[in-house]
Amino acid sequence: MRFAYEFDWSVLWRHPYGIWILKGLLVTIEVGLLAWIIALILGIFIGTLRITTWRWMRFLGTAYVELFRNIPFIVQLFFWFYAGPMLFGEKLAHQINRIPDLNFYVAIIGLGLYTASRVAEHVRAGFASISRDQYQAVLSTGMTQVQMYRYVIIPYALRIIIPPLTTEFLTIFKNSSVAMTIGLAELTFQSYRIDAVTFHGLEATTGAMFIYLFLGLSVVKFMGLIEKKYKIKGMVGR
Amino acid sequence: MIEIKNVSKWFGDFQVLKNINEVIRQNQTVVVCGPSGSGKSTLLRCINGLEPFQQGEIIVGGVKVNDPKTNIYKLRQKIGMVFQRFELYPHMTALQNITLAPIKVLKLSKKEAEERAMKLLERVGIPEKANEYPANLSGGQQQRVAIARALAMEPEYMLFDEPTSALDPEMIKEVLDVMIDLAKEGMTMLCVTHEMGFAREVADEILFMDYGQIVERGTYEEFFKNPKTERAKDFISHILH
Repeated sequence: MRFAYEFDWSVLWRHPYGIWILKGLLVTIEVGLLAWIIALILGIFIGTLRITTWRWMRFLGTAYVELFRNIPFIVQLFFWFYAGPMLFGEKLAHQINRIPDLNFYVAIIGLGLYTASRVAEHVRAGFASISRDQYQAVLSTGMTQVQMYRYVIIPYALRIIIPPLTTEFLTIFKNSSVAMTIGLAELTFQSYRIDAVTFHGLEATTGAMFIYLFLGLSVVKFMGLIEKKYKIKGMVGR
Repeated sequence: MIEIKNVSKWFGDFQVLKNINEVIRQNQTVVVCGPSGSGKSTLLRCINGLEPFQQGEIIVGGVKVNDPKTNIYKLRQKIGMVFQRFELYPHMTALQNITLAPIKVLKLSKKEAEERAMKLLERVGIPEKANEYPANLSGGQQQRVAIARALAMEPEYMLFDEPTSALDPEMIKEVLDVMIDLAKEGMTMLCVTHEMGFAREVADEILFMDYGQIVERGTYEEFFKNPKTERAKDFISHILH
């Protein structure tokens, strides 16, 4: 094949572009991992609220899930970045806006809160697949509701929902690219930056594409190991 | 002593329990039988507060179950329960299944709890299965672990909800033997079961339920030799073959 376009793949490693890509990848990984911690902890909590026997707690859980999963993530991110600080009052807002790398923190929190609503639904699905008698069996031994969830139901449900959680874990890295819209210098941002300077956007984007693919496959591999380690004996697994 | 006084319960418009009265004295074994949907399991779950009921009262060892001031978690420690489908925690070994509540609720040390668990596993005849996961156990073994799990809380009362209905015929005996031993040692038990051999051997009283009511009650002899109602006669003719 011949193209009128002159390929220059060296923009992926030539100084300073190679460093830009590495820095971008690092930010993507940091944002993804930190957001995932928020999403997992909050998601498990919200998912549990949705099935407790306390009505107002259920309402709280449902309200959270419906609010966060029904608004496009990019809109949420804009909201947190531009309007978020104002929620704390005018005086504090000025201080918050002066925080260096504010977009980094907003990206982590915004992505974490959004993904938590999705994790919560998977957790709820896990709970729903456990029989009513199983819950009652735990309670019949004298354990409290909190102990029941903490020691039996949540560990059991999490093992069931590892496959969809793997997808969420992958997606959090992919969704972190949306944070370029609030100026966060993550991987996608850096590949656009290389394009702007070198006009070799094709190579830069292709490079980013393969890095995302590799990152995703690493998550799949990692979660595969977790799935194997925590597989419940007697259940169908891979 | 378990006292059930004028208990009625509705699921929406449907009345599942109709004015149930019964007293189970200390060291007694009472067997409940009757067709499915007659409210047997629901009655059992009312006794340890797993199901709420709208009318009447249940008093277990002097503590009123349906009193909002009652610490129901505390009360449940005294009432062990065994389920039809075992309901072991599948991600834990037999030993972990048995020690969980003693460690978390009774605050026993891991060592104490495990010693207690091993004694119970010996009592139900499967100490060698301590480190097996439920999926690697037969139904009968799982149910015996489930009984050990309930006994690990050292309850004063035991509730059995069709403990042998999900078992192969060959495994029924191994579970019934454990239950018979328990009854003979003086455990106060309420058993929903259709195992009439078990009823004959240990039941102080048999209750026959239908459509949410106790239709007939009596000793094994009275119930089987001399059933008073047509419904009971019909039922007996179906379970004795």
